[in-house]
Amino acid sequence: MGTQPVADTEEAKWQKVLYERQPFPDNYVDRRFLEELRKNIHARKYQYWAVVFESSVVIQQLCSVCVFVVIWWYMDEGLLAPQWLFGTGLASSLIGYVLFDLIDGGEGRKKSGRTRWADLKSALVFITFTYGFSPVLKTLTESVSTDTIYAMSVFMLLGHLIFFDYGANAAIVSSTLSLNMAIFASVCLASRLPRSLHAFIMVTFAIQIFALWPMLQKKLKACTPRSYVGVTLLFAFSALGGLLSISAVGAVLFALLLVSISCLCPFYLTRLQLFKENIHGPWDEAEIKEDLSRFLS
Amino acid sequence: MEDEQSFSDICGGRLALQRRYYSPSCREFCISCPRLSLRSLTAVTCTVWLAAYGLFTLCENSIILSAAIFITLLGLLGYLHFVKIDQETLLIIDSLGIQMTSSYASGKESTTFIEMGKVKDVIINEGIYMQKVIYYLCILLKDPVEPHGISQVVPVFQSAKPRLDCLIEVYRSCQEVLAHQKATSASP
Amino acid sequence: MACRGGGGPGQFPSAVLSRVSPGSLSTYRTHTHNICMVSDFFYPNMGGVESHIYQLSQCLIERGHKVIIVTHAYGNRKGIRYLTNGLKVYYLPLKVMYNQSTATTLFHSLPLLRYIFVRERVTIIHSHSSFSAMAHDALFHAKTMGLQTVFTDHSLFGFADVSSVLTNKLLTVSLCDTNHIICVSYTSKENTVLRAALNPGIVSVIPNAVDPTDFTPDPFRRHDSIITVVVVSRLVYRKGTDLLSGIIPELCQKYPDLNFIIGGEGPKRIILEEVRERYQLHDRVRLLGALEHKDVRNVLVQGHIFLNTSLTEAFCMAIVEAASCGLQVVSTRVGGIPEVLPENLIILCEPSVKSLCEGLEKAISQLKSGALPAPEDIHNIVKTFYTWRNVAERTEKVYDRVAGEAVLPMDRRLDRLISHCGPVTGYIFALLAVVNFLFLVFLRWVTPDSVIDIAIDATGPDGAWTPRYPPSKKEGKNNAMSKTR
Repeated sequence: MGTQPVADTEEAKWQKVLYERQPFPDNYVDRRFLEELRKNIHARKYQYWAVVFESSVVIQQLCSVCVFVVIWWYMDEGLLAPQWLFGTGLASSLIGYVLFDLIDGGEGRKKSGRTRWADLKSALVFITFTYGFSPVLKTLTESVSTDTIYAMSVFMLLGHLIFFDYGANAAIVSSTLSLNMAIFASVCLASRLPRSLHAFIMVTFAIQIFALWPMLQKKLKACTPRSYVGVTLLFAFSALGGLLSISAVGAVLFALLLVSISCLCPFYLTRLQLFKENIHGPWDEAEIKEDLSRFLS
Repeated sequence: MEDEQSFSDICGGRLALQRRYYSPSCREFCISCPRLSLRSLTAVTCTVWLAAYGLFTLCENSIILSAAIFITLLGLLGYLHFVKIDQETLLIIDSLGIQMTSSYASGKESTTFIEMGKVKDVIINEGIYMQKVIYYLCILLKDPVEPHGISQVVPVFQSAKPRLDCLIEVYRSCQEVLAHQKATSASP
Repeated sequence: MACRGGGGPGQFPSAVLSRVSPGSLSTYRTHTHNICMVSDFFYPNMGGVESHIYQLSQCLIERGHKVIIVTHAYGNRKGIRYLTNGLKVYYLPLKVMYNQSTATTLFHSLPLLRYIFVRERVTIIHSHSSFSAMAHDALFHAKTMGLQTVFTDHSLFGFADVSSVLTNKLLTVSLCDTNHIICVSYTSKENTVLRAALNPGIVSVIPNAVDPTDFTPDPFRRHDSIITVVVVSRLVYRKGTDLLSGIIPELCQKYPDLNFIIGGEGPKRIILEEVRERYQLHDRVRLLGALEHKDVRNVLVQGHIFLNTSLTEAFCMAIVEAASCGLQVVSTRVGGIPEVLPENLIILCEPSVKSLCEGLEKAISQLKSGALPAPEDIHNIVKTFYTWRNVAERTEKVYDRVAGEAVLPMDRRLDRLISHCGPVTGYIFALLAVVNFLFLVFLRWVTPDSVIDIAIDATGPDGAWTPRYPPSKKEGKNNAMSKTR
């Protein structure tokens, strides 16, 4: 403040320090004001096609839900024999099981140390239990009205889509919750099918499409991206075809949804990224980048 | 000696302060509020009755009307007997103590007496009252165990709530009496 | 002319002689101010903001201003209290919501605050801390009432997450028509200017201060056979306690003669205890728990090196206190810390275990080779840096400047809110400002200003506590006031 003689004002250069009394007023704004301001340090540049490729996970999951509902509708109408669905499901599961090991040459299996015997055991246990309990599943929701069941299934399937692990690092993601919601929806819907065999096969199918299929997808995506794109397209078209056989309007709407998610949304994302203005500077809270847990373990 | 001065209370209403100086050691202060005015009485009664009549037209039950009459009568009686204080008196006699009397509009009187041995001091304090910050006069009572401590604070003129200028008048006179008391008790 | 009324006939000509510009005439007229400090944070709560308000108020009283403090009730402490030198504190019965900050509806505090502003004849409202809802409420009401406003920001904020986006928006609204803003460091000024989109010309930088007489070195209290590192901070994530838990084992293994003393309490204490347990350092790492402010000095003088691991800091009082006690300071280079001490008194490191360990090792080697200056010398240098008198002097200049400015009238205020805070927020708060104004009109109708008793000043030019040699006429009132404590 006023401690230094005024004659110094010409030579004196402003310093960004508080401990010295400087010959400037307290509200002085120097040229160096905000010189340490940085913008968009951590902002990512997105490639349009890369984002489209990543969006396929969402497409896959939407199609899974669609296929599941279509199959259920066919069963409910009696157009699809349960034995036939069981056979197809079993066959495709076996193919998927073989593929699962073939894609990465058995490396994943070695890493996890899980034997085939263990797989077989858990599959058997699951099938026996589901079969045993399917009469209970059938009668479990008898006292609940059908409308409630439908509403509940819709909410559960929506919840499944919301909480599904699409690979984002967010707090809302919970793959267990997502899977549980899907199975709950399948149990609800299965209880409206004509016989307990139907219910058993429906739940088994739900496990296949909501639990096993995404695992295979993940591996496909990581190891052979090209075939993954093919599989996604194929899956999307079959889901659309199935929906088309039930309702043309629904199929058109669903197709629009898929197109907007896979093409429009990525376009928007890359566009809006240009407007991003993330401010950084010395006032930011420092991040601890090291792993400090090693001192405690 | 007796004089009367006009002051206002914290809401802007009028108050009258009467001071009676019987002797240098004995003084009386009397704050009187205006009596219940006919206009406000009429206004309240009319509102209650109009509301009752409105209800009556809605549900066509004549009990409401009679209930309204009872409510106004009982309310008025209760108000006059328990709430509305017309006059508050502070009598201070240096050798005896301080007597506070409040007389209700119905004529009921309630009296509190504090003997001089218990009185530590009379002060003006500040406090938060409803959505206001006000000054009030209060009497500090000595703690019987610890001679310098204060065991209780007794507010004076609780219902009238006069403004600071009025309180200062009373405060000065009280201090004179207390000083007189100290002087006489110290000298023998 | 307005200035003739206040100045008094004797002083008026001298004002003309000494200062020529018409602007300074008006500043002369308001040579002493009636200042009302508002913050949710005040004693008995402890912290940087609290001591800042208290010390600043004391120095302003010493300079002849009238100062009152308004805060919310702390437990049983409610009503009106007087502190040293007649500093009057209003503890208002408002509900505390979170972290000692009151809940805000933007309106419910208006009746009481207005009553206080009127009865104390306040001319300048000085709010503290952006975390305090009451401070923002008071700014809002003061602008509605047409009083001058000053705001002091004590903290830094990021721009990245959702919560900071929201609080920054609120700050923009709150500060867009505030007359002047005070920040505690240049970094804090940059931060506040960006957060609230302000004109940097109305933001002053006035650092905090420490009382150098409270923090004097005492070289005989420390053992020179061992090296002691002192840490005094709350044990929370933002203060970098996690880094500390990495530094302690690293250095304790390397230097057998190194001890740590850690003062402070917090949720991260548990990880320090785990580290101590795991590396068997019970005799070398002392955890003292929560410290009273008066004990801090006694802890500081036991050490040779002070370590600060904060991850963000607007102005670090702790390192100034430590340097004032003659310790070598090792600190992270974050926020405003590089501005606080000159390079020869502080070793700045990056916020990582590796860098902080290197900094500490440098300090240890300097200490062993005797290259560090004596504690008494460090104290003598540091004590000239920051004093509360200087802070008060500079704050007074801000008040003088603000007193000469006009408060925006209602229409211009609404314009400013709408043009400055974005279309949605701007209109919402403009509407709220109008509602607030109508509420004020209603309150003025219910209890006109003339009905409100003017409070007897405890401080300021006519204060009952202001020392004056000829006994004044108000002796009786003086008595009354002093006995209310």
